[in-house]
Amino acid sequence: MEMLLSATISGLLMGMLFALVALGLAIIFGVMNIVNFAHGEFLMVGMYAAFLTATGLSIEPLLTLPVSVTICFILGIGSYYLLVRYLLRGPMLAQLLGTFGLMIFIRYLAMAIFGPDYKTLEYGLLIGKSIKWGPVVLSYSKLGTAVISVMAFGVIYWMMNRTRLGMALKATALDVEAAGYMGINTEKMRGLAWGLGGATVGIAGALLTNFYYVFPTVGMLFVMIAFATVALGGFGSIKGAFIAGLIMGLIIDIGGTYVGPQFKFALIYLTFFLVIIFRPQGLFGW
Amino acid sequence: MPMKALKDALSFADLPASERIAFAVFFIFCLIFPWATKGSFAQAVMIQFLIFCLYGLGWNLIGGYGGQVALGQAKNVGMSAYTVALFMVWWDVPFWLSTPLGVIIATVESFILGYFLFRLKGHYFAIATICVSLVWQQLFVNWELIGGARGVELPLKETPNFVYMQFTSPIYYHYFAFVLVMAAILFMNWFRKSKLGYQLRAISSNEAVAESLGINIHWVKVKAYCITGVFAGMGGAFYAVYYNYIDPFSVMHLELSIMIALMTMIGGAGSMWGPIIGAMILIPMDRYLGAWLGAIGITGVDFMIYAFMVMIIAAYEPRGIWGIIEKARRKP
Repeated sequence: MEMLLSATISGLLMGMLFALVALGLAIIFGVMNIVNFAHGEFLMVGMYAAFLTATGLSIEPLLTLPVSVTICFILGIGSYYLLVRYLLRGPMLAQLLGTFGLMIFIRYLAMAIFGPDYKTLEYGLLIGKSIKWGPVVLSYSKLGTAVISVMAFGVIYWMMNRTRLGMALKATALDVEAAGYMGINTEKMRGLAWGLGGATVGIAGALLTNFYYVFPTVGMLFVMIAFATVALGGFGSIKGAFIAGLIMGLIIDIGGTYVGPQFKFALIYLTFFLVIIFRPQGLFGW
Repeated sequence: MPMKALKDALSFADLPASERIAFAVFFIFCLIFPWATKGSFAQAVMIQFLIFCLYGLGWNLIGGYGGQVALGQAKNVGMSAYTVALFMVWWDVPFWLSTPLGVIIATVESFILGYFLFRLKGHYFAIATICVSLVWQQLFVNWELIGGARGVELPLKETPNFVYMQFTSPIYYHYFAFVLVMAAILFMNWFRKSKLGYQLRAISSNEAVAESLGINIHWVKVKAYCITGVFAGMGGAFYAVYYNYIDPFSVMHLELSIMIALMTMIGGAGSMWGPIIGAMILIPMDRYLGAWLGAIGITGVDFMIYAFMVMIIAAYEPRGIWGIIEKARRKP
């Protein structure tokens, strides 16, 4: 019972981070129906940005958030204007494999620059501390990550639903041509979607640096969880991404505890597989 | 009917003369290659090239002609390779018996998976195939009974042995792979003129129209996916006896599926020679440039060049290098 409780809580906390990683993917897919395979590599870039800023300037890791957000925002917009814009003209095969190419390019660029070593942060406000709450031990870094993730999620949700910019993004998602007639610069909106996708995953990267190893291939694992999350929640659905993220966190932690830690990721993919067979549009998709 | 199929497979008459000449040159090159070169490294690269040709030709069917981005070739390769390897380790089953079984397993898996996954379209399908590959990959890495992450080593026979496909000289492997690739090319030559080929291309260019023409979309896709599984299964079985060692990272890994797809894309997805051109670029670059740069301490640059090419091709000429050749030919 105690094991279940502690797995549930840690699962929910991780789930909030998974939701944040999936958020960017959901925004990009929602606005232009393209899957960003390089999303995990954006996360990796965000992690390295945070890690190198923190160690290079020897500052508190949490203060590196703006740096990694900015870098990932620029990376997202850059990818759109330099690559994705051209991919959209081609068939689906080209769209898929084009972002695949981007993924491999960024990954091996990082490999060539930083080497394949695993790195960790050794100091920081949240690192290495935990609170004991009954039988449950919570690490500060996961708790802080979850809090900031939810805040970031809230900001994006508010922006998408309450601001003119969000409305314009939504309009572009629903019908590009009609949005263009209404005077929305759809090209800019699409670029912005990529920028936002990058920025949100940049936040996730900076947070993840607090308690996870930094290495060039870290993206693959998280992007696969993010794909499963987005598919579970429904492609393009922001609310769905959040709830599905929590479900993913629970599956990983509870499943990992009871089935065996080596199968926890297989469980996620299996869940995804079942969802996609029985409810292809996801929980909140349309 | 079978006679006509055979005739279609053997007839290259509808191709332009330049293509026939290029194919003849390729054929002769592969035929004399083991005699023209002495380097064992070059021969190993050549055999790897042939294996990848086989994978690519198979993937081209579903990915190129069918336009369905299936990223799960590696699991079919792996299943067949593991069947061959484990049957030999456990029960000493010869290659020629275990290979058909491995191919059947790979094909049945493709059928079951295709049956369910082809309810999905486009990106959903692509991601679903990735997820399934990852489930298999994790399973194989953690399944101790079949060697887990350590992989399986095939026991060596005392003497070179045709029944177990164990030879001392790579020449035999070369010719075996060569025969497989030629069979695959002949099959593709039949395929592109067959009813299935036309149906698949119709689906790729417009699914709604194809359906309204009375094509059973789901069934055609599943069929094509099964054939892709056969190709991958053959490649996997050969891989197992050629390297005498397999592990989940070399035959089961998602990376392999991605490589196969990207290679075909670079060469020209949906064209007869695309996968071969792609393999011709990828494999030597990977082996020579990778080895050379690795020796001076730079890793991954070959992958970067490769990824860069993929991006350029995806953005400007989605039909790949073959598309560029065709464009140049039409504009004299």
